Amino acid sequence: MPEFPISGYHGRVLVADLSRGEVRTLPLDPGLALDYLGGRGMATRVLYDTIDPACDPLGPDNAFVIAASPLIGSNAPTAGRGHMVFKSPLTGVLGTSNSGGTWGAAFKAAGFDVLVVKGAAATPVMIDISPGKAEILPADHVWGKTTHETNDVLAAVSEPGNPARVLCIGPAGENLVRFAAVANDRNRVYGRCGPGAVWGSKKLKAVRVRGKEKIAVADMEKYRSGLDQALYLMKQAPVTKRLLRDLGTAGLVELINLIAMLPHKNFQDCLHRDEDVERISGETLAKTLLEKAGSCYLCPIGCQRHTRVAGRDGREERGEGPEYETMVLMGPLCGIYDLGAITRANYRANELGLDTMSYGGTVACAMELAERGLIGREEAGGLDLAFGSGEALESLAVMTARREGLGAALAEGSYRLAAGRGHPEYAMTVKKLEIPAYDPRASYTQALGYMTSPSGACHLRGGYAVSLAFFGGAREIPRFSLLQSPIAIRNMQNVGILQDSLGVCRFTGYAFSSDPWARMVGGITGRDFSVARLEEIENRVATLERQFNIEAGVTAEDDVLPARFADVPIVVEGKERRVSREDQERMKQDYYRVRGWDAAGRPTPGLVRSLQIEESKR
Amino acid sequence: MSAQKWQATGELLGEFQALGRASLAYDVQDSHSGNMAVRRTTERGEDEIVITATGSQKGALEPNQICFLSATETDYGYYKASSETDIHARILELPGVRASMHAHVKDLVLATLDDEPKPARPPDFVPVDPLAFHHLGSAIPVDWFAVPSGSPELARVIPERLAGHPLTIIFGHGAMAKGRNLREAFFRLCVGNNAGTVVRAMERLRIDVGAVRRAVTADPGSSFAGAPPPYEIEGDDRSDFREEEEILKEFVKAGHRIFESRLSPFHTGSMSVRGVDSMLYAPKASMPRDVGGPLLRVALSAGPADDSETALHKAIYATSDFQTVMHCHIPEAEASAHFVYPGEAAPADRIIPVDAEGTFLYLVIPVLPPNVRTDELVRFLHDYKVAVVRGGGVWAVGGQSLSEVLHHPSSVREICLYRIGAVERGLDLRRLEPQKAKRW
Ligand code: SF4
Repeated sequence: MPEFPISGYHGRVLVADLSRGEVRTLPLDPGLALDYLGGRGMATRVLYDTIDPACDPLGPDNAFVIAASPLIGSNAPTAGRGHMVFKSPLTGVLGTSNSGGTWGAAFKAAGFDVLVVKGAAATPVMIDISPGKAEILPADHVWGKTTHETNDVLAAVSEPGNPARVLCIGPAGENLVRFAAVANDRNRVYGRCGPGAVWGSKKLKAVRVRGKEKIAVADMEKYRSGLDQALYLMKQAPVTKRLLRDLGTAGLVELINLIAMLPHKNFQDCLHRDEDVERISGETLAKTLLEKAGSCYLCPIGCQRHTRVAGRDGREERGEGPEYETMVLMGPLCGIYDLGAITRANYRANELGLDTMSYGGTVACAMELAERGLIGREEAGGLDLAFGSGEALESLAVMTARREGLGAALAEGSYRLAAGRGHPEYAMTVKKLEIPAYDPRASYTQALGYMTSPSGACHLRGGYAVSLAFFGGAREIPRFSLLQSPIAIRNMQNVGILQDSLGVCRFTGYAFSSDPWARMVGGITGRDFSVARLEEIENRVATLERQFNIEAGVTAEDDVLPARFADVPIVVEGKERRVSREDQERMKQDYYRVRGWDAAGRPTPGLVRSLQIEESKR
Repeated sequence: MSAQKWQATGELLGEFQALGRASLAYDVQDSHSGNMAVRRTTERGEDEIVITATGSQKGALEPNQICFLSATETDYGYYKASSETDIHARILELPGVRASMHAHVKDLVLATLDDEPKPARPPDFVPVDPLAFHHLGSAIPVDWFAVPSGSPELARVIPERLAGHPLTIIFGHGAMAKGRNLREAFFRLCVGNNAGTVVRAMERLRIDVGAVRRAVTADPGSSFAGAPPPYEIEGDDRSDFREEEEILKEFVKAGHRIFESRLSPFHTGSMSVRGVDSMLYAPKASMPRDVGGPLLRVALSAGPADDSETALHKAIYATSDFQTVMHCHIPEAEASAHFVYPGEAAPADRIIPVDAEGTFLYLVIPVLPPNVRTDELVRFLHDYKVAVVRGGGVWAVGGQSLSEVLHHPSSVREICLYRIGAVERGLDLRRLEPQKAKRW
């Protein structure tokens, strides 16, 4: 294969067709690198060229794509993350999910930029990738095993200096739980939108990578100037300097409660007793269960929580977490403030391969349905489904992953669970994706982010508004501005697209925005990746994602919050706050216009042309 | 004797107090110096002068330190009033003048000092920055007086000067400005002092000020980016977006900071936050505490009535994703934009930070020529977030908030101050600057 003309890329796309049982290496189109950069951008373009967005997400016509970025392989901070895109079996729209850990960096070191997996195998398989070699292998020996067990079995081939890194699903993925995750490094997960179910539908248990291929840097001085600036700013910003290392993301629990944004009982309110919140705070976690902080590949922030907890049988268990989202969505959202119960359930979810966020949201929904008499104790297999029932958390995780009893209904996610009982209004979702742990009534910008995220209610794809509404430092924005929210959220979403396309962590955004990245990626590639050019790429990716969703059947009616957020106020700083339907409509229409979409939320032909988005090549 | 002769209340008192505090905050007075006067018509239809009391602290004016005197006859109020009352009274007789103000504008005074034997008439002050050039004229008179305070000579000469100029300089003492209201007089004093700051900063940077003055005088059109909008005396209380409480607060905070940190003289500069169809816009961005300025909601589409400042905000938004724009006239940046490295012939096209914070925030700050095209300016703003336009002020952009965009001019001023200080100390900037910045 001829040498790739742009530094930072290997110029290779690995395509595995599981139906045919064949693996091919194709050359990477340099135009793809220049127009879509890498990671999320490049993966989305490749997916759009590979599948019909209207396909059955659990059928062989669906595919998933993982792409690295030119930064991966350098020593840029946090540049080791992977990004996976697919059609989501939970939402029916674009599934787009990101993970830390080490797998992303190892995949790039195996000599590839993009992995495309399509078709479906008849029996369990895995893909084994190393420089110059990729093959599909049987995986019956690990089918049925947890993510931890699978990882340990498959990583056993590691050699000193050449570790094998494993990306795999657990029983939840095998059983097509619609919010099943894909894990690497045991506890780092591609959680959102159900990628694990897509893998399960393809009978793909794992992808193992090894390698030591390096990338070239075209302009080291330019690269270093961006790197120096990034590292300096990360040491300056309190969140990246200390908060996340000392307290983990759970350090946000008390702060988010202070700004009246911490959800409670399936978003019925944001009212908590301070002493309850303290029981699950980052401080309490650090003082009680934390063994040590940990880091993803090349991350100086180090937010991972390596913890231990007494199991229900009294024996000590070790694992990771809980992170903020898990802590709150499996905690107060379910009326639970029992740190031990949340931690144990978090361990189970990781082992079984469940997205803890959607799982927490689904359990909260089930608890509200039970409270309203729409799920009986018998159906729950005798489990106490009242809000606050910590014991149910762990048991339900196992039942869900195995689709046992009520678990089979939970495995469909909260929207289908509630709709199946005639009450979809109790599902706190946007586009059927469970809402993260920030109440949208406490920030219009966050509300609009959930409404317009390409993957449904996701704070990372929809725009991490809370990072600017409270911890933004100089970039802090108003929380209740109808005028500022549409552009603010568009800009935040765009920064997210950039970070996901570069394979770097969202938390770097607490310290800096695009500028240092522009210099780093410009330095590595030796190409013009100015901030203006990066902005163009961000807008191109956002519009392509929308285009995919339109073709998948999304309409403007899908870009709304559940009725509860318009009808039931919460109190923020003494004022009742809700996001009325009129305000939602105004912000949504304004958002469409700043994106260059029409009133129905469709990218206009003129915009598609100006962004040079080509038609799908499928 | 009537207490009404020196007992101000209400709006009038508030205005005197606010501008008094502002003049101290802007450091154009000492604790007791300066004075302010307005002429108004009483309810009985008589002309009246309202003036600060002699020896009063302008930063803490009490109600009884505002004196009311007849414009036509001496009365008791006169004896408590400023020792410069006679001068003010004559200035206030000039057509269209309703206010006058005197301040010890130190930078302007210093920039006009010379050690020639006196008596002699010092040369006019030729400003080299766009604000003073357009608002105060291309040559501002400077007069030497044997008794430079409260003297009959002053009372004769100063009104004469102000008949033809907005502001006049009293050698070694301060300046007097006239206005249609007090704010305009204060605006002119601040712009004048800023002009002095620019010249002084140039001198400290060892820039050939004479050469810059010759160039400016010979061809102002190509020395400045364009005329700033004229000073408006109406509409300061206008607020088109009171319902946007949080944004309003941000505008007020940023306005205070711009003024107090001397990022732009009183009621100069501009800032905006963009919405989808409109932008929230402060055309007088530099706003002291208690003295507001218009806060407008303006359509984003370009309009024939747009002044140059408004038009540029709109043009930046039209071709970018930025959410906030700020424009300031930072005197140290204006001076630095003319800096010529030893051995070179033309001013540098970049300002390279030499301090640690500046170095990490910006590798370089581009300096663009006065006639830079809007699309070029936008391109530089994309890559650098802030740019200095020689003869045109500092433009900065933000992706999210006013606070974010404010950080840029604020940092630029610090960066320029460090460079100016380094040159003043005889240090070699080239040796202080990071190597990598030179090749960018
Ligand atoms: S901040 Fe946390 S999640 Fe992000 S890369 Fe570092 S360790 Fe991973």
